[in-house]
Amino acid sequence: MQQWTLECRRLGKRFGERWVFRGLELELATGAMLVVRGANGSGKSTLMKLIAGLLAPTEGAVALRCEGGAVSDRTRFLGWCAADGALYRELTGYEHLRWWAQVRGLPDDRDALMAQLDRFELAPRAHDWVRAYSTGMRQRLRMAIATYGDPPLLLLDEPDAGLDASGLKLLRQVLDEQTRRGIALFATNRVECAAWGDLALELGA
Amino acid sequence: MGVATVVGVGFAALGQTLSAGLQAGLFWVAVLFGMFPALARGFIVEEETGTADLLRVAARPASVFWGKWLFHATLYLLLSGVLVPLYALLVAPIAGHGGAWLLLWLGGGFCLTSVLTLCGALVAQTTVRGALLAGLTFPLLLPLMLMLIAGSRQAIEGVFPAEPLQGVFGYALALSAGGAWVFEKVWRE
Repeated sequence: MQQWTLECRRLGKRFGERWVFRGLELELATGAMLVVRGANGSGKSTLMKLIAGLLAPTEGAVALRCEGGAVSDRTRFLGWCAADGALYRELTGYEHLRWWAQVRGLPDDRDALMAQLDRFELAPRAHDWVRAYSTGMRQRLRMAIATYGDPPLLLLDEPDAGLDASGLKLLRQVLDEQTRRGIALFATNRVECAAWGDLALELGA
Repeated sequence: MGVATVVGVGFAALGQTLSAGLQAGLFWVAVLFGMFPALARGFIVEEETGTADLLRVAARPASVFWGKWLFHATLYLLLSGVLVPLYALLVAPIAGHGGAWLLLWLGGGFCLTSVLTLCGALVAQTTVRGALLAGLTFPLLLPLMLMLIAGSRQAIEGVFPAEPLQGVFGYALALSAGGAWVFEKVWRE
């Protein structure tokens, strides 16, 4: 198993005059699951986006390392799922996953894609348009996309939003599996989910 | 918009003989007007529907740039398929030096596609899209339009437009080298 490390050094983000957070130090290695907590507006999503490379930090740096060596484009090595992350409504769930697989250079054969959708209990509705999916089904599809290809770094921004009891059980499984092969960061406001991680970061405290 | 422009110009110029310069100018203005709505289909829709972040995580910036470029190039091809015959029918025949017209169409299409792709990406990330679009595209499109119109005028007159074509293809080279690089800098904040 490869050893991955995620490092945040003196990380800070400012929007206008307001610092969302500043001087954040973080180091996570393979096997770690960090739960990020905090009130609305405390910067959970901002932190996730900074780590994903979707936002540039105002100060400090984020680095992903594999066996000690820095990875130049960490976006290629992460799975990302945000509750407000949009999906292409004109695609079916199957087409969405196939698109992701093709763009990322992952296996795009029917069996592999259907197996992934089946894992998230989406196989019966695989060929329905995403716009016909419920909130929970969209969230399951986001997770199916984020975890396809077993990325070493998994960033889940409030993935529990809209999930029912079986969806939450599935989410727990996903996180447990991730810690066996890489690093998981999981932002939530749900009390029962906040206890899942072995590490916790409270933002805005 | 391109079709409306050609039809409008066609009716306005009905029964008149247009000069070569005017014909060339109207042709490229119609193409430009037709291509502008493509801006919204490229990056602005991605930002407005929120799928831009998914795209940022999914693919390398260069892949996104050239993917959108191909989309705009396909639109240019389809638009030309409609506009060129309509223009020839309603305004003036595409006459003169055929080879020069083809090169101008190719070079002009490459440049228009590149400028619109790049400007679309820049504009999509702001909230003042209308004003910024005008401000950004004007300095990038003006020299291109002048070269294309000058070249087309010469082509209509049966002269091979060597200098305007050099300019257009030089511009295309600069855009292909710089476009993807600039895009990479702005795509991920």
